[in-house]
Amino acid sequence: MPNNDGYYVKAPTINDIHDQTLIKYFEDWVGRKVIILVSSFPFVFIGVIAEVIDDFVVVDVETTSISQLEDREWFIHIHDIEVFYIDEGEGPRIPDLKDGD
Amino acid sequence: MKRCYHVVAIPIRIVLNNFGDYNPNGMMYVLKENEHKVRELVKKHPFTPVDLVQPLVIRANEGDEVEILFENQLPFATGMNFQEADYDVQTSDGANVGVNENTLVDCGEQTLYQINAYHQGVYFFSDLGNPASSDQGSNINGLFGALFVQARGSSWTDPIKGGCIESGMYADIHHPFLPSFREYAWIFHDEMPTVDLTGNKPLDPVTNQERESTHAINYRYEPLENRKKLIDEGVVCPDCDGEEVHHDSWVFGDPASPILRGYVGDPATIRIVHGGVKETHAFHYHVHQWFDDPTNQDSEIFDAQAISPQTWYDIKPFYGLGSLQGAIGDAIVHCHLYPHFAVGMWGINRIFDTLQDGNQCYPNGVSIDALQPLPDRPRPPSPTKERPGFPNFIPGKVGCKAPRPPLGIVGGRGLTELEKNAAVRNPRPGAVFADPCAVADAPVVKEFNISVIQLPLIYNRQGWNDPKGRIFVKDEDIEDVCAGRKEPEPLIIHMTAGTCIRINFTNRLPHVADGDVFQLVTRTYEVGMHIHFVKFDVLVNDGANVGWNYDSSVLPGETIRYEYFADVELKAWFFHDHLFANYHQQHGMFGSGVVHPRFAKLLDSCSGEEVDSGTQVTATQPLIPDYRDLTLMVHDFAFLYDKDGCPLNPPKFPSSPDDPGLFGVNYKCEPLQFRLNTPECDPAYSFSSFVNGDPVTPILHCYKGDSLRIRLLQGAQEESHSFNIHGLRWKSERPDVESRFDSQQHIVISESYTFETYAKNSGDYLWTFETEEDLWNGLWGLIRAYDEEVNFLIPLPDQVAPPKRTQPLPECTGSPPAPPSVIESAAPPNAPLKRFEIVAFQIPILYSNFGERDPFGIVFALEEDMNDILKGRKDPEPLIIRANVGDEVEVHLTSFLNFNQFPYLDGIWPYPPVKEQAFYPPSVRISLHPQLIDYDVKTSSGETVGFNPDQTAGPNETVTYRWYVDTPVGTCGMWDMTDIRNHRSLGTYGAFIAEPRGTEYYDPYTLEPVNSGAQVILVNPLLPVTREFVLIMYDGARLVDKAKQLIVDPVDGILLLNEIDPDLVDTYDNGSRGFNYRTERLINRYTKRAVLKDLFSSNVHGDPSTPLLEAYKGDPITIRLLNPSERRRAHGFHIHSHYWNSDDTDLTSQVRSFSPEIVTGFTADLRIHYGAGSFYNLSGDYMYRSGNIRWDLEQGMWGIMRVYDALQAHLPPLEK
Repeated sequence: MPNNDGYYVKAPTINDIHDQTLIKYFEDWVGRKVIILVSSFPFVFIGVIAEVIDDFVVVDVETTSISQLEDREWFIHIHDIEVFYIDEGEGPRIPDLKDGD
Repeated sequence: MKRCYHVVAIPIRIVLNNFGDYNPNGMMYVLKENEHKVRELVKKHPFTPVDLVQPLVIRANEGDEVEILFENQLPFATGMNFQEADYDVQTSDGANVGVNENTLVDCGEQTLYQINAYHQGVYFFSDLGNPASSDQGSNINGLFGALFVQARGSSWTDPIKGGCIESGMYADIHHPFLPSFREYAWIFHDEMPTVDLTGNKPLDPVTNQERESTHAINYRYEPLENRKKLIDEGVVCPDCDGEEVHHDSWVFGDPASPILRGYVGDPATIRIVHGGVKETHAFHYHVHQWFDDPTNQDSEIFDAQAISPQTWYDIKPFYGLGSLQGAIGDAIVHCHLYPHFAVGMWGINRIFDTLQDGNQCYPNGVSIDALQPLPDRPRPPSPTKERPGFPNFIPGKVGCKAPRPPLGIVGGRGLTELEKNAAVRNPRPGAVFADPCAVADAPVVKEFNISVIQLPLIYNRQGWNDPKGRIFVKDEDIEDVCAGRKEPEPLIIHMTAGTCIRINFTNRLPHVADGDVFQLVTRTYEVGMHIHFVKFDVLVNDGANVGWNYDSSVLPGETIRYEYFADVELKAWFFHDHLFANYHQQHGMFGSGVVHPRFAKLLDSCSGEEVDSGTQVTATQPLIPDYRDLTLMVHDFAFLYDKDGCPLNPPKFPSSPDDPGLFGVNYKCEPLQFRLNTPECDPAYSFSSFVNGDPVTPILHCYKGDSLRIRLLQGAQEESHSFNIHGLRWKSERPDVESRFDSQQHIVISESYTFETYAKNSGDYLWTFETEEDLWNGLWGLIRAYDEEVNFLIPLPDQVAPPKRTQPLPECTGSPPAPPSVIESAAPPNAPLKRFEIVAFQIPILYSNFGERDPFGIVFALEEDMNDILKGRKDPEPLIIRANVGDEVEVHLTSFLNFNQFPYLDGIWPYPPVKEQAFYPPSVRISLHPQLIDYDVKTSSGETVGFNPDQTAGPNETVTYRWYVDTPVGTCGMWDMTDIRNHRSLGTYGAFIAEPRGTEYYDPYTLEPVNSGAQVILVNPLLPVTREFVLIMYDGARLVDKAKQLIVDPVDGILLLNEIDPDLVDTYDNGSRGFNYRTERLINRYTKRAVLKDLFSSNVHGDPSTPLLEAYKGDPITIRLLNPSERRRAHGFHIHSHYWNSDDTDLTSQVRSFSPEIVTGFTADLRIHYGAGSFYNLSGDYMYRSGNIRWDLEQGMWGIMRVYDALQAHLPPLEK
């Protein structure tokens, strides 16, 4: 179908497929530990994937850059994720990080 | 919008404080509407500060046109030269430069200046009609001011009365879309001629000598010496000594110096401006932090900042007044250079928690001026009897020392009812009226037990020592340190971000410090631990005694408990005593805390055991690369004796602040005079561990490839230093990957820097405080990167383990090392190769058209030019070579130095002088050390350092270096490292410019391709054709005049000097100066024609001898600015009506028209906005110059950039 500018766009677009793959991937690993880097403050999240809502990953965050923002659920838009790693059980373990340990 | 001001320059008596110290010959700019009023008020109050006598501050918005009707009522021609502004130099330069129209104004005359403000910030203005640095100059007497340019759409009101204001140092700034904020002008100035109430020169009541010269803010200062007289006479505080109550309003009432008032949480900007003539000051603001560059949120966090003459910064404290923790009370703001602080360069930021409507009083009955709340902030609560607000809940006694804080002192008192009402919910020692640790939920608490003790400190193997060292030390280390089992070093404590820090601080110092040749007896009976950066309650936890706060120090034998919060990963935070710092800080009373990333562990680098203190540790962290952490704390005014008990560089009288003593780094020094252990006593091997052994100064041990964090701080006391690491580089703004690379950093006391870098190659890297006097007296050491395992250094856990040791570690042999057998290149195999055949030889250098010359000059030159230079067909100039990114550079350097052609063959170099003169004969070897580019330090650093091979060339010998231009680092200094005493003053420096890939260089006059030279045209297929001008700002030159008499600058060049004070200059002020082996000393022009207003005029005097930078209007211009020379006095740099990004690699960096704090190793790349002629591309002569009226401008540190509008026969246009 044509868009507002009259151009025909094939749906789903490659970006839709890309997003859907990421969404599916996070959905598959709900309950696993994840480390996510984003470009804006607070830059890093470590926690357990609680659920995926639309294209937001909900992470029960154990660790981020400052303690005031921890121990709460963060809704992270998938487009904002620069780098992530999910502890799938076979690769390196994501460390448990506690102040003062 | 057009704004119009009528400004008059008038003579005015400036009373600097309530004790009646005054400048009878002051000068100021004032709005015409205030002129009559201010004159009348001064007439009526000849010994009292008059509010209207203040530096003129006017305001405009970005985009405004500002029209100044300027009228001169001073008895010489003056003007207003605006920095940062766009204007036509023919009408509005406020100067008489080159062949421009004269825009100065004669006495009684008027003119109209029109300037445009195209970026926000401080548009400093001052006079250039009378550039004398002596007491008869205009700037030194107060003829300066500022235009503050706000965001477009701003308005401003009076903070006391509300309503619009036309001028004034304090204003509340409002904007339709942005938060309102308090704006405070903080204009440092120095050296103002001052007499006391009786007309005499002010005396120090302790020494009975003249006190330190005036260091003031906004025409006010509050010297310790005045206040101490009231104690000595029994008027106030009879049990006090002096310095410990210098800032105490309970004793003396408020100071005459600025009090910046606001409510807790108010957004604020302090616009610090240096209107003075000489010193680089250190701005420090208790409790608060800010971005180095307020336009760049990735820039470094500061809480102390150096500022050199005619420069400025905007200080925007994070979280508003009182910072994150909402601290109420008095936060002192001061120059941290301690002699300046003592003589009165301080004020207070007063943070109220209750509404001030004009009906309240301070505890001494003085009425508190009203303070309008900012319109978009919550209105502060009105004071009540139960909750009177700061400072009226504090149970102090007027005329006596401030009370001790509740709860803090072990065995001390609890809270009064009024204190309880003002306290936080959970008051505890160190956190009574603000609770910084409550910022986080249940943060980790880290407790340290720290004491201050006195003990002898041995600085080097020759036995230089401070018998009365005073240091911070952990309680558990006291016994080992005092017994000699543990080496004393500055206390560096470590913690991670998010830690609540608790300190149990004990005063173990003697009540009285004995007198000696350096200092008179002083009752240093109380001491505190004042901290920087971390969050704390300023009322009870400042480790200081300020304003109406408590005195948070302790007596001998007492312990006080402090609490702080490290909210984020910080740099190293400075701590020191704030009570008797003028007495004992230079004895070693300083330390630092380092806030590492969360989850970091700190390990002893030898044993691997966990530690929480030490100057050198290893840090591991699960998410980022592990690193080695080294803290270096430099200090001056170190009161040292030799092994026989003779004082080293003692002052003329005890307790003189006139640069006594020597230097230390981490309580050590390795003077070069003791490192001449070759048979020839050749200075070329002074840094060699083969010849002289390792230095006693810190050696950072690491393995090749290790990440490094170098923490740089200055612990005492007054002077600038220039830190350099040879062979390493770092991002200038650590959090910002877009910032430029640096390998040098200017530093003053209390500043803190962290440099992140890594040891790419094995070998010994030299770190230095590189100005001549520092280096001579031993401020240098090594970073040693091992290529194989050693048993005293654990590998970084996240690095590949180093290979097992196969070769024994090198040892001192007493003989110079051999040259390297192979010179490895850092470049990839197919990199384009550029070869430079360079020679070093002696040749007289003509420095000016007035016949000033260096008869013993040493120059680097391309071999192909040597003959022409020797035959006089080509003028000597500093060697400037270029290569492009991706190029490999091979340098063959040959020495043609002849021992007999040095000026001082007996090995004693008398001028320019250094402290602690000693035998150091001239070296005939030579080397060439480059900054910033990539090379192996073992072969190509251009110096013989540590256990590296020899990299110097003797007479008729050639040494080879291989460098790689791996990234566009722009300007790199190059200099000789064989003999810093006998060579540098004679010109052994140059520059290497790393240009973008694909650049070609052409002579701007012949358009022929060139491979050296200060001025070239750069042609690059992807970039605009650009004129490049390299300006090497040098100092410390040794010149003679036409009559072959030694020129003793700066004294010989001072204009209008009536009497010569023998203590006028410091060692590091000596020497001649200018740009590119050229100088244009104004004294020559004045002698020829004694008219001040014509001094910069080419119409009268012809063009100056300094480089003439020629361009057509609109030509793209890059200025490569550097200082590879030697003196410790920092310079500023400015070009009239042109500006640039402060960081050329970061387009969001602040735009400004100056480069600050220029000392040895400084480099900058100034890409001029809009090209030659600035925004309007106007033709004319634009002066480039130092900002130091004292003593740069007079001594020849200025020149002209000439912008043409019509084609000139000698200057081909750029091909577009």
